[in-house]
Amino acid sequence: MNILDKLFEKQTRQLAQRSSRRGILKGLGSLLVGGAVVPLLPVARASGAEPVGRPVEEGDPLSCDYWRYCAVDGFLCSCCGGTANSCPPGTEMSPVTWIGTCHNPADGRNYVISYNDCCGKSSCGTCLCQRDEGDRPMYRADKTNDINWCLGTASAAYHCSTAIVVGVAFEDQ
Amino acid sequence: MRTLAVIACVLITGFAQASDADKRRAKYNYQMHCQGCHAPDGAGAGDIPEMKGHVGYFLETQAGREYLVRVPGSATSALGDSDLADVLNWIITEFSGDSVGDNFEPYSRAEVGRLRQHPLNEVEQYRVELLDQLSALSQESTQ
Repeated sequence: MNILDKLFEKQTRQLAQRSSRRGILKGLGSLLVGGAVVPLLPVARASGAEPVGRPVEEGDPLSCDYWRYCAVDGFLCSCCGGTANSCPPGTEMSPVTWIGTCHNPADGRNYVISYNDCCGKSSCGTCLCQRDEGDRPMYRADKTNDINWCLGTASAAYHCSTAIVVGVAFEDQ
Repeated sequence: MRTLAVIACVLITGFAQASDADKRRAKYNYQMHCQGCHAPDGAGAGDIPEMKGHVGYFLETQAGREYLVRVPGSATSALGDSDLADVLNWIITEFSGDSVGDNFEPYSRAEVGRLRQHPLNEVEQYRVELLDQLSALSQESTQ
């Protein structure tokens, strides 16, 4: 007989002598129940899990008090032929922008908002909105809404502002 | 023995989640302090350098490694040393692609704290010289 067969037979017989079928079932049962309980252990799960990124939407994007516009200083693209997420036809979205956070009262969470300007046409002139929450002085250039953010576009002419949700704000638990 | 196994499970799960939270914090800090110019994927725009697929090349020399901390966007940012180190490590992990080697040594809080005391003034000129050096180094290694 092949040496491997002999070895396997010997191991199997030893295992059969040492264990019972009930014992194996008991072990398997413990493993299944134990495995299922691990996710319930009291570790800091709230701070570890990635929150779902989609905000609960309430409010009117045509209105300046819409939650996403907390730091806008300009004309709302929603009133100019675009939306809170997109530019009106004939304009180009600036790839360079300033980013802040807004609190969404509908779900109680803070979201990261990108205020990309739409450029290439003269000012829209409709729905002027100035809220400035989190706006910083000009010497904090990356956190001010007082400069023309039409940077990196073919034209530097400002038309209107979007407010795009790009993530959930990180908060230490 | 079983108690030890359970304790090990809890510790491993806890560490994995702490690491996940660190990554989310680093991503958030990137969004808040860098993404406005460098774009969500590090692609840059116009005159803003593209980090995507390239940023790891700077780590091939000590001067290049220091540049990533001394560049004003890093050195003078509102981030603390620890958060800045985490963001730089996150950028390199996320955006380098093949430009970073397997032996990448992450920035430490102490290293970042020391280097950012010397922010660069003439960044563009310094960057051109640095890229010339990296290019020469690359040509030497291929010959």
